[in-house]
Amino acid sequence: MKKILFFLLLLSSFVHATNATIEVIKKVDALPTLALEDASINYDDTFRLQFFKSLVADLNVLALFNVDRHYLKNHFNSADVLLENNKMDYVLRYKLSQDDDGSLNVALLLLKEKESVLSKTYKIANKNVYMFLSHSIAYDINSFMGAASVDWIKKKVVFARMSEAKKSEIIIADYTLSYQHVVIKDGFYIFPKWANKEQTAIYYTSLDNGKPTLEHIDLKTGKVSKIYSSDGMLVCSDVSLDGKKLLLTMAPNGQPDIYSFDIEQKKLQRVTNYSGIDVNGQFLDNETIVFVSNRLGYPNIFSKNTKTGVVEQMVYYGQSNSSCSVNGEYIVYKARESSNAFSDNTFNLHLISTKTDFIRRLTATGVNEFPRFSRDGDAVLFIKNYKAQSSLGIIRLNHNKNFLFPLKSGRIQSMDW
Amino acid sequence: MKNVLFTSAVVALLALSGCSSKEPVVDAPVDEKVEQPVQEVEAVKTEEVATEDTSVLGENAANMSDSNEMTIANLEKELLSVYFDFDKFSIREDMQNNVANDAKVAKGAPANLTVKLEGNCDEWGSDEYNFALGLKRANSVKNALVAEGVDASRITMVSYGESNPVCSDKTRECWSKNRRVDFKLLP
Repeated sequence: MKKILFFLLLLSSFVHATNATIEVIKKVDALPTLALEDASINYDDTFRLQFFKSLVADLNVLALFNVDRHYLKNHFNSADVLLENNKMDYVLRYKLSQDDDGSLNVALLLLKEKESVLSKTYKIANKNVYMFLSHSIAYDINSFMGAASVDWIKKKVVFARMSEAKKSEIIIADYTLSYQHVVIKDGFYIFPKWANKEQTAIYYTSLDNGKPTLEHIDLKTGKVSKIYSSDGMLVCSDVSLDGKKLLLTMAPNGQPDIYSFDIEQKKLQRVTNYSGIDVNGQFLDNETIVFVSNRLGYPNIFSKNTKTGVVEQMVYYGQSNSSCSVNGEYIVYKARESSNAFSDNTFNLHLISTKTDFIRRLTATGVNEFPRFSRDGDAVLFIKNYKAQSSLGIIRLNHNKNFLFPLKSGRIQSMDW
Repeated sequence: MKNVLFTSAVVALLALSGCSSKEPVVDAPVDEKVEQPVQEVEAVKTEEVATEDTSVLGENAANMSDSNEMTIANLEKELLSVYFDFDKFSIREDMQNNVANDAKVAKGAPANLTVKLEGNCDEWGSDEYNFALGLKRANSVKNALVAEGVDASRITMVSYGESNPVCSDKTRECWSKNRRVDFKLLP
């Protein structure tokens, strides 16, 4: 009996494997099934399929359903679900329609055992930003299911993309990077960071005039203001939750250290003073920062209490841990695990807690970099480079699942969520 | 004259494109009458000379600025990039000669020229850490130059991290070319 069960489990895992291409870590579990039924009018098949794919991807990322990937059409008011979907736990029926002014409308019906349990309508002015509608639908279905909030699904990502040597641009995107809008171009702009939780402004470094300069752009007005400039290097590594303090990495005398900058008082304070490299400062709590330092001869993750000055090594695993992101008690960091500097399978992401000795490896293959926590700590965004393919990855920490979205855009220099 | 030629070429192109956009060009009969569409063409490109540039100084001034640029270009050719090992910012034994040469060139250069050191890294490393590594490399070169007698106040530094590669292949040779400090002379 046990053998039969095992065989069935194995079989079902293969079925899943063919179904969910964006899933990296698969587990055999009993998630409810969900199928989609397109009842659209007005739009051509290409656009309908685009929308369908976006919705399937979003619903997958929720990690609440086994989402069926077959594209099927039905009438919106049909009393019955399609024959193929008879055995599905949930059916999501939706209708795309276009207004006279060109705006895109979506009517939505969630059916459970053929009974309507949720009905909603959406509207967006431009159909080219349909992915935001798709994210909103997933957000609402997640709320309806009573699952932990996925606020991050509506948040925007800002990143710098290299176009050629010493040329880069700053781009705002949705969390899957499928919508991209260039906000600053024709120059050398790097290390963008959201300036507030409303995501209405960005800090970034300009290397346009030779001297690294921290600038601030208000996205509503387009107004650019200079914040600080320094020889050598200048990076905004983190913005405090209230948006009033920055952690900067600067090197006014050729010595990279972490500085805290009070925006209102324009006050700069040096936080680290080791003679090697200190970078990537992240706020842990009111008193403590986490940062990357080579004080043991290789890059690793440390913390410093700014009141007492006590420095503590945070990570005891990995041979070269050169970047990190912090949320609450959790730190996600990038580690080089093999001692061969240039071998394949070199950089993986790991998660630690400041409260336990627990280390969890979050990725398994390729070069994984730029980890960024969502504000609520529910998910980690990162870039994976594996076999000449770059992808954007989302790690759902509580669901032990990674989702990958293939990227076409060039080399990403830095990213914030 | 060149400007005039260019401008008329642009006007001609714009006028032509204006005509052809009226009708599909596929198999259009040669003798078909094409009405001139009412279309606003792009403004003729002009060049404005700023007031401060309108005054023509003596021959000497022009020569001086030319010769200054030539001096910089010639001197920059003599300055040799300094290369580094993976994840290291100490100057390698085999790079000492390059540094000695660079110190000699920098000391011989006119005192009004600033030496700008640009630190660079390969793509292996993380964003901020890589920038700091590039800067520490520039700083090592600065210290070596100062030890050889170059005035520290004449030296500025900047790090470009991995964003200024000279080689973009995925090979060790290529990466080793990118782990370097370049020199620029600024007036």
